[in-house]
Amino acid sequence: MIKIKSGSELEIMKENASILREVMDKVVSKVQPAVTTQALDDYAEELILAADGRPAFKNYRGFPSSLCTSLNEEVVHGIPGEREIEAGDILSIDVGIERKGLYADFATTVPVGKVDEGTMELVTATEEALTRGLSQVSPGNRVGDVSNSIEEYVNSRGYSVVKEFVGHGIGRDMHEDPQIPNYGDPDTGKRIKEGMVFCIEPMVKLDDEKVEVLDDGWTTVTAGRGVSAHFEGMVAATKDGPEVYVRGGL
Amino acid sequence: MAEEEDDDIIRKRGEIIEALPDSMFKVELDNGHEAICHISGKIRKHFIRIVPGDRVLVEFSPHDLSKGRIVYRES
Repeated sequence: MIKIKSGSELEIMKENASILREVMDKVVSKVQPAVTTQALDDYAEELILAADGRPAFKNYRGFPSSLCTSLNEEVVHGIPGEREIEAGDILSIDVGIERKGLYADFATTVPVGKVDEGTMELVTATEEALTRGLSQVSPGNRVGDVSNSIEEYVNSRGYSVVKEFVGHGIGRDMHEDPQIPNYGDPDTGKRIKEGMVFCIEPMVKLDDEKVEVLDDGWTTVTAGRGVSAHFEGMVAATKDGPEVYVRGGL
Repeated sequence: MAEEEDDDIIRKRGEIIEALPDSMFKVELDNGHEAICHISGKIRKHFIRIVPGDRVLVEFSPHDLSKGRIVYRES
C-alpha cells in the first residue's frame, strides 16, 4: 500500500531533505584524488549526527556505513573503505537520514578530475534520465509512466538501465511501496496521488548484461566491469505537479 | 539507497485459446506453455470482456506456474 503523507510529515521530510543536501555538498567538496571513501563516510556521519539525525543506511540490514560509495564499475551499495579515489574516477555517493521519525535519501555521481568523454556522456545521460523520471511524478500519472520515461531516454542514448534494483516510496520507512523500476510500460502500475513521496533513481550502464553483487553482500558491479552512473532524487506529488525535495546533479 | 527488486510475481504475456466454465480461461503463453487462468477482480469489476484470441498479461506465483491470474487485456 502506498502511504499518503500529511502536511506536517511532508514539512519534516522537506527539512530532512535540505539537511541531506548540505551534508552531500560538504562531502562532495572533500572528494579529490588520494582521499579514501572511508574518510568521506566518517565526515558524512559526523555531519548527520550534528544535525540531530541518524544515518539511515548504517545497520540497515547489516550495512556497515552511513554512505554508499560506488566507484566506476560499482553500480550501487559500495561499502566505504580504504580504497583511494583517483583522478578520472566517477564516484556515486548515496546518503540517507532519519530524523523525527521520517527518512530522506538521495544520491549523486561525482566526476573526479578529468574524466574521459565517453564516461562523462554516460553520467550526463543518467542525470537527464533522473530529470525525466522526476517530471512524471504528478497526480494522475502511473508508476509505469515514471519507469518508462527513464528507460526510453536511456535506451535512446544507447545505454541500458539496471533492472535488479529499483526506486521506492519513502516516509516513515526508508523503503516503502511502491517499487519504482527504471524500466516499464507507460500507463501501467499504481496511480500516483497527491501526498505520495518517491525516490527515483536511475542506474545506468553501457551494456545490457545483468549486474553482480560481490561477496560482501552489498557492492553491486557491472558484469563486464564497465562504468556505471547513478543519480537519485526525492520528489513529492503535489496538486501542482512534482515537487523535488532534493536531487543529485552535476 | 536502491531497493532490491522484488521478483516474487512472475508476469507473462500470452493469448486466450479457450474459454472454460466459471470464467476461467486456457491461455497459451508466448513461451509455448499452457496455463489455466482466472480473471482479476478488477477485470471482473469493470466488465472487461475476454474472448479467445485476446492477448493478455498473466501473473503467476513462482510456486505454481500452471495456474495464473489474468490482470490485463491488451487492446
